[in-house]
Amino acid sequence: MNNIFQLSIIISMLSGMIRIGTPILLAALGELVTERAGILNLGVEGIMLTGAFVGFLVANQTGSIPLALLAAMIAGGVMSLIMAFMAATLKVNQVVTGLALNLLASGITFYWYRVAFTGVSVTPTIEIMKVVKIPFLSNIPVIGEVLFSQHLLTYFTFLMVPAIWYFMNKTKYGLEIRSLGENPRAIDIKGINVTRLQYLATIFGGIMGGLGGAFLTIVSAGIFLPDMSAGRGWLAIVVVISGNWQPFGMVLAAFVFSFFEAFQLQAQSLGVQFPYELLLALPYVIAIIFLVVSRARSEAPAQLGEPYHRE
Amino acid sequence: MESSTPLLQTIKLTKHFGGVIANKDVSFDIKPGEIHCLLGENGAGKTTLAECLYGYYYPDGGEIWFKQERVNIASPHDAIKLGIGMVHQHFILVRPLSVIENIIVGTDAAQLFLNLSTASKKVEQLCRDYDISLDLSAKIWQLSVGEQQWVEILKALFVGIKLLILDEPTAVLTPQEAEKLFVILRKMKASGLSILFITHKLHEVLEVSDRVTVLRKGEKVATVFTPDVDRAELAKMMVGREVFFRVNKETLQPGDPVLEVINLRAKNDRGQESLCGISMNIRAGEIVGIAGISGNGQKDLFESIVGVKPVHSGNIRFSGQDITNKPVHAIASLGMAHIPEDRLKEGLVPEFSVAENLMLGLHKHRFFKIWGGLVDAKEVKTFADTCIKDFDIVTPSSGHTTRNLSGGNIQKVIIARELSGHPKCLVANQPTRGLDVGAIEYVHTQLLNQCKAGTAILIISDDLDEIMNLADRILVIFKGRIVGELDPQTASRQEIGLLMAGCVDGEQL
Amino acid sequence: MNVLGLTFEKREQSSRLWQLLMVLLAIIFALVLSGLLIFLSGADVGKAFAGLYGGAFGTRKALIETLVKATPLILTGLAAVIAFRGKVMNIGAEGQFLAGAMAGYWAILTFSWMSPFFYFSMILFFAFIGGAICGLIPGLLKGLLKVDETIVTVMMNYVVEFVLSFLLSGPWQAAGKFYKFSEEIPTSAHYGLVFPNTRLHYGFIVALVTTIIVYWILQKTRLGYEIRSIGLNPAASKFKGINVPRTIITIMLISGGIAGLGGIGEVIGIQHRMRMDISNGAGFTGIIIAMLAGLNPLAVVIVAIFMGGLLNGSNRMQIFSNVPTALVYAMQAIVLLSLLAFQVLAKYRIRRAAGNE
Repeated sequence: MNNIFQLSIIISMLSGMIRIGTPILLAALGELVTERAGILNLGVEGIMLTGAFVGFLVANQTGSIPLALLAAMIAGGVMSLIMAFMAATLKVNQVVTGLALNLLASGITFYWYRVAFTGVSVTPTIEIMKVVKIPFLSNIPVIGEVLFSQHLLTYFTFLMVPAIWYFMNKTKYGLEIRSLGENPRAIDIKGINVTRLQYLATIFGGIMGGLGGAFLTIVSAGIFLPDMSAGRGWLAIVVVISGNWQPFGMVLAAFVFSFFEAFQLQAQSLGVQFPYELLLALPYVIAIIFLVVSRARSEAPAQLGEPYHRE
Repeated sequence: MESSTPLLQTIKLTKHFGGVIANKDVSFDIKPGEIHCLLGENGAGKTTLAECLYGYYYPDGGEIWFKQERVNIASPHDAIKLGIGMVHQHFILVRPLSVIENIIVGTDAAQLFLNLSTASKKVEQLCRDYDISLDLSAKIWQLSVGEQQWVEILKALFVGIKLLILDEPTAVLTPQEAEKLFVILRKMKASGLSILFITHKLHEVLEVSDRVTVLRKGEKVATVFTPDVDRAELAKMMVGREVFFRVNKETLQPGDPVLEVINLRAKNDRGQESLCGISMNIRAGEIVGIAGISGNGQKDLFESIVGVKPVHSGNIRFSGQDITNKPVHAIASLGMAHIPEDRLKEGLVPEFSVAENLMLGLHKHRFFKIWGGLVDAKEVKTFADTCIKDFDIVTPSSGHTTRNLSGGNIQKVIIARELSGHPKCLVANQPTRGLDVGAIEYVHTQLLNQCKAGTAILIISDDLDEIMNLADRILVIFKGRIVGELDPQTASRQEIGLLMAGCVDGEQL
Repeated sequence: MNVLGLTFEKREQSSRLWQLLMVLLAIIFALVLSGLLIFLSGADVGKAFAGLYGGAFGTRKALIETLVKATPLILTGLAAVIAFRGKVMNIGAEGQFLAGAMAGYWAILTFSWMSPFFYFSMILFFAFIGGAICGLIPGLLKGLLKVDETIVTVMMNYVVEFVLSFLLSGPWQAAGKFYKFSEEIPTSAHYGLVFPNTRLHYGFIVALVTTIIVYWILQKTRLGYEIRSIGLNPAASKFKGINVPRTIITIMLISGGIAGLGGIGEVIGIQHRMRMDISNGAGFTGIIIAMLAGLNPLAVVIVAIFMGGLLNGSNRMQIFSNVPTALVYAMQAIVLLSLLAFQVLAKYRIRRAAGNE
């Protein structure tokens, strides 16, 4: 047990926390925009899975990581397009639609994986992205290793946090989206196309979710496993709630969740005898606690999940 | 400075919803630089008319002319483009956003990269022009209701409207805030804007308007120059002449008090006091009518008695027992029946069959055998058939889906359910709202029969005719208090109208 | 008004028929889309569907195996029906399924000394309780604290799964084995077979009985009346004295319990041990089944058999045409999505017609 408190271990853990939290945070940032527009997209899990698979497939077939990332983003966008159509145009029950999307993704990715790799005896792999150390910054003791020796996608995620904040608070479209989720009538009156805005916000969420999913295969695992998103999409949704729909608050929530997984991985690799499953369950228990605590003061968009009817 | 060419004109504007006529052949006009009041009781059609001007509703007949051109206003966006703005009773604001954000969203002032400072300057200038003091960066939820209203007004001013419609703007304001509003309106008038001010408060009409158009039951009574009329005349126009027909009502000797409300205080959903110390009682065999403009605490009084709404002070006694804050079914089992305001939302389950709805509430103690394990289909059917027969419900069968019945028959289902048990007390909130004449007659007959049978009845209604016809005593509610008790045999509509508007002994409450 | 009345009446009379039509349309659409997917993958569509159908309903043996696959789905479908009827979004059937299995397994270990009748009763009883407790937590949170149950139930799924994983790696792990499953359960704890030499176990009968019970509860009891009432109009229910929070909690208890019965059924009927994969997504499939069945418990059986057929037939489909079995999961999702879409389109047409006053 002494080992666990050695600095190198802690650094390794924190670094893992950042790495593991990236996909969750990416998807959460996307979901944030979607929810601010009033659409509750519970299909994030499926979108991440789709991104993971498509990214993997394209990387495997073409060897090009940029292409794979792009494909993952498009795939996520397409999945979320279904959500947008069902929620904004047809105005059906968003919760059930999201669930159906998850199941759809689960089935299709597994199916297509099998189809693409029939008869292959060795588990297909791809070359994962390498860590990119930022010059100078990565030499800072502790922080340098934790924050600045990560993958490009992680740096991208870091940048996206303030970028999304800026977009939502300082741009015209951000203002319209924020208004949408709270009171669609207010901007409908002003002649803004509510449906179109909801589509855009949802598709953006899907793109981010797809990208987050791609991280799982292209950066972390290098292989694809069925249902490998393993609840991260749900955690992303909880991250949005716990972060009170604010990008900076969400960062904290995402890393609280990923900390436990990183901790558990570290403990496992050190051979520490601790029921690691219970640690794995912790993020979900904490998520429930967050939900209970934040039910009163939450800044959820007032019309979240409610289809908007003009009458 | 008066110009004679009107800014806006309606010619025989008509609007109906299903079978109900909300506006009939209303023709009036608004001049530039004028404050024009639209006066009438609830249900007179004021808001509907305004919404037609604002594009929320599309008129079924008649014309709208703006700046000497015939216009077609199909949406609020069209109205705003023309230069017509509206401030609703329920503000259309985005609560978590700031004042300036609410004002500029969707306008040309909202550039891709928001530059709030330019827009802020313009809004600040407007504020100076109209003597409004507002922190533009404050969030809407932080503002008082009066200040939120200013934001709505600024929204309209910002895009340069020529006509501003205000729907009952002082309904949610304190007297001081109302005064402040009038100052702003006068300044707007001075700069050439027109204002259509919808209200039911007589003193406001006299204080602030140049002309007033009075509506009654969807039709225009008259348009007059305000200096030419006084409060009494306005009240008469608003509530109408004496009605000559009266329901044949026997005067009975009422019994002992069945329901007593003692100094009841309750808060509404927003945390404000909506019942401010109500005291009243209802005796067996008597009908007490509560008259008042809706929004003065009627709904909360109704819900407190029924048991749906918690009260924080005061008592309600029913048949000698204290039922304050007791659960609904406990109160019901003591013999309390109720007819709620919204038939479909609060009165029954529209997708249930008629028989199932007749059981609702009564199902706690009847219709099931073996401790609720088995429905007694025979009892259900017998009861349903009896109700259908006794209360004349028109339905293909007791298994028919309730939603498909006519409004009047839906109300019959509720009445049958509530009255079949010969309740000791019945409270009814707007029991004839939205019903046709035949159905209204039916409801009234039922209520009178029940009264004869000894039930204590409380009827809350926006319709003064109804109250005058049915009640033995009339209580007028205003801002959560009973401000007067009148005898319908001797009181004039004028008197009642004044009390409804909050004018007690010449004082405005 | 007359025209309006006529339009509505038409809808009411044909609503059952209309519902059925929408479901059929959705299934057809899903089949077409799946056919497209199969075609795009280069496989033979005809062979695939032939294999699917044959494997599902083609022979007596296939049909019986379809019923086997349908058994847990009937129960999770019923669990979803009871919850959704009360507008309680219980997405936690997956976890309640496992929790019931776990509690039942514990009972298997603990009460093996009892006589068969009591032993079995204990097993089923605890399975129900296990699922019910798993459902109680979100139920209490919603009823008392007004916390939305949708995400809480999903989170519970993961928590339960990890608890099971923990148990199967430790105290319950089969001695000396590396994989996460338990020892075999004693034969006295096995479900008997409905037909000898098949896999159809009494769990199927339990599922059918539960169907009748759920139907009974919803249509014939006071509780069911109140459940339906709050599901259709919580405001009016409150006005007429129904205790909405208490009913919600009751719903979650029953829903969780039924899912739990599904879980233990797989343990004592099929697997005869505790494993990680006894559910195979049954909880989520149950939700799809409930929606397709129009929240009607009796229809759940039919839809569950159809779904069971899909799952069963997928094996043969794979053998015949190399189409991976995973396709049927995608098919299920497509059916649900298309059903939602078609239902809206149908409503829209009727409303348009009614709007011409």
